[in-house]
Amino acid sequence: MSKPFLQIRGIRKEYGPVTAVHDVNLDVAQGEFLTFLGPSGSGKSTTLYILAGFENPTRGEILLNGETLLATPSHKRNIGMVFQRYTLFPHLSVGENIAFPLKVRRRPKAEIDARVRAMLKLVRLEGFEDRKPAQMSGGQQQRVALARALAYDPPVLLMDEPLSALDKKLREEIQHEIRRIHQQTEVTILYVTHDQEEALRLSDRIAVFSKGAIDQIGTGPELYANPATRFVAEFIGDSDFLPCNVVSAANGRAEIAICDSMTVSHVPLHGAASSGAKAALMLRPERLLLSRTQSEAGLPVTVSDITFLGNNVHVTTKTSKGNDLSVRLPFGHEAISGLNRGDAVWLRFDAAAAHVFGQ
Amino acid sequence: MVAQTETESAKHYAPVRARRPTDFDLTLPALGLLALFFVLPVAMLLTRSVTEPVPGLGNYAELMGSSTYLRVFANTFMVSGLVTFVSLLIGFPVAWALAIMPSRLASVVFAILLLSMWTNLLARTYAWMVLLQRTGVINKMLIGVGLVDKPLPLVNNLTGVTIGMTYIMLPFIILPLYGVIRKIDPAILQAAALCGANRWQSLVLVLLPLAMPGMAAGALMVFVMSLGYFVTPALLGGTANMMLAELIAQFVQSLVNWGMGGAAALVLLVVTLALYAVQLRFFGTDRLGGS
Ligand SMILES: Nc1ncnc2c1ncn2[C@@H]1O[C@H](COP(=O)(O)OP(=O)(O)O)[C@@H](O)[C@H]1O
Ligand SMILES: [Mg+2]
Repeated sequence: MSKPFLQIRGIRKEYGPVTAVHDVNLDVAQGEFLTFLGPSGSGKSTTLYILAGFENPTRGEILLNGETLLATPSHKRNIGMVFQRYTLFPHLSVGENIAFPLKVRRRPKAEIDARVRAMLKLVRLEGFEDRKPAQMSGGQQQRVALARALAYDPPVLLMDEPLSALDKKLREEIQHEIRRIHQQTEVTILYVTHDQEEALRLSDRIAVFSKGAIDQIGTGPELYANPATRFVAEFIGDSDFLPCNVVSAANGRAEIAICDSMTVSHVPLHGAASSGAKAALMLRPERLLLSRTQSEAGLPVTVSDITFLGNNVHVTTKTSKGNDLSVRLPFGHEAISGLNRGDAVWLRFDAAAAHVFGQ
Repeated sequence: MVAQTETESAKHYAPVRARRPTDFDLTLPALGLLALFFVLPVAMLLTRSVTEPVPGLGNYAELMGSSTYLRVFANTFMVSGLVTFVSLLIGFPVAWALAIMPSRLASVVFAILLLSMWTNLLARTYAWMVLLQRTGVINKMLIGVGLVDKPLPLVNNLTGVTIGMTYIMLPFIILPLYGVIRKIDPAILQAAALCGANRWQSLVLVLLPLAMPGMAAGALMVFVMSLGYFVTPALLGGTANMMLAELIAQFVQSLVNWGMGGAAALVLLVVTLALYAVQLRFFGTDRLGGS
């Protein structure tokens, strides 16, 4: 990462008794694609609105290239934004919408025309400049909104769930476009979504929001392989949690006992847990090995359901304590040929791929 | 929409059910009443305009040929235009404030607006007479704070008519404008701000164009209503700026000249209908919503 381009320092936002954002700290590099991922109400939009200047933080500081942004009103911040709702000016044509930010900046007409053409080309909507927003589909409108937000070369582009109103297929298509446009323009993007797949597909780094705070920041693979909190583990990828007892803990590793029948050592430990404490063991369905024959290292479980999901087969099992554990295997895997509900099987996993979260 | 499904289902059930009344059938009683109490008297008045005192268009020729009468027409349009303009000027900020203020406060302001609309027109006009006269509260205050040394002439002239009529017309501008402004997504104005538009540019380039249907609807309504206004111009206006309705009243009441009165009334009716046609043409009822 190069020198911090955009710095968010201890930003907090309170609405009366509600604290929408808790002391968020974040450094964003120039040209980075950073996504705020989190469930609805976790403070993602509020953080973005503070960056846009629609809200003032209760406290904290935002620096762009080392200079405070908070003293500048929205219309002078020069930041681009694509909103969740359709915000094209309905009385203006597509071309006039894209020209709008340049018109209010009083740029010469020739420059505006050239820029509008370049932007339409960028979002692949050449020939649409005379259409009115109402004559465009939702996906096209958001592409025009993107063109309008990029027309004045903003240093930072904010996107607040811009695709949430679109259906899945169109969403994926435009995600692809956004990626291409990011690579082409090298603009710094702060993107908000509650869809983990979208976040993983688009971002260089993801900041996982929970209850107004950032739980963890990292690349998709980092968050997936090394979730810092149980919330992150649940939010990124599929996971199951088994209650376990900590036998001993040292140096970020723990030895644990599950279902009274099995101990595992050297499991990565997150959060505080002393020996004897209760904790939660996280297992990912695709990291479990299923074996039909009893083995010492295997956890005995019973098959409760088998679901065919195309290239994958999802096997739901129950431990002796009644906890559900899912296993995902490729279709046609030998371990599941002829497998039936009620069968006893044994599950094994690599301690390094599991995680223990202290309570 | 509803009418269409009605007739469609009626068609569909035709073989099994008796013919259902169409929408048009249902309006017949209302149309009958309208014909009896509105169309018939107007038609009688208009008939007299081409039959009294002698058959022909003499009344219209006199009306159009006399500079006195033409001045009344011009004055009527001028006052109506002025009232419309001032109403828009005051109504827009009020409607905007209503749209963005907390809904509880807004309902209080609405209650005040409606209360004033439901108060008797004469009472409101007399109230303005009291307020605006030479020894009225407004002149006393102006003198009291030293802004003027002798009372301003605020009644029996154009100022009085404009104040009194604007006050009465304001709700007719504010209500449609409020409806249109409420429908504008605040995110559109946020987008304009991030695009670099300052408040003034957002107002002129985004808000006003989006509010235009509401402004046009309200303005046309106020203008048309003002054209035929009688009570307020009669009480607050001076003899120098008589309006058309006053002229008609004078023809009929003082001069007992039904022919001229009918001719003037027809001119007013034609102008009003023409303006109404313009409104329907450009802002047909379904376009009033804007967006
Ligand atoms: N204007 C406001 N007044 C009061 N509470 C608000 C306001 N805006 C947001 N909040 C609260 O702040 C929290 C975070 O909201 P938001 O940032 O919109 O979440 P997200 O975008 O992650 O869904 C929510 O609990 C929401 O109810
Ligand atoms: Mg949000």
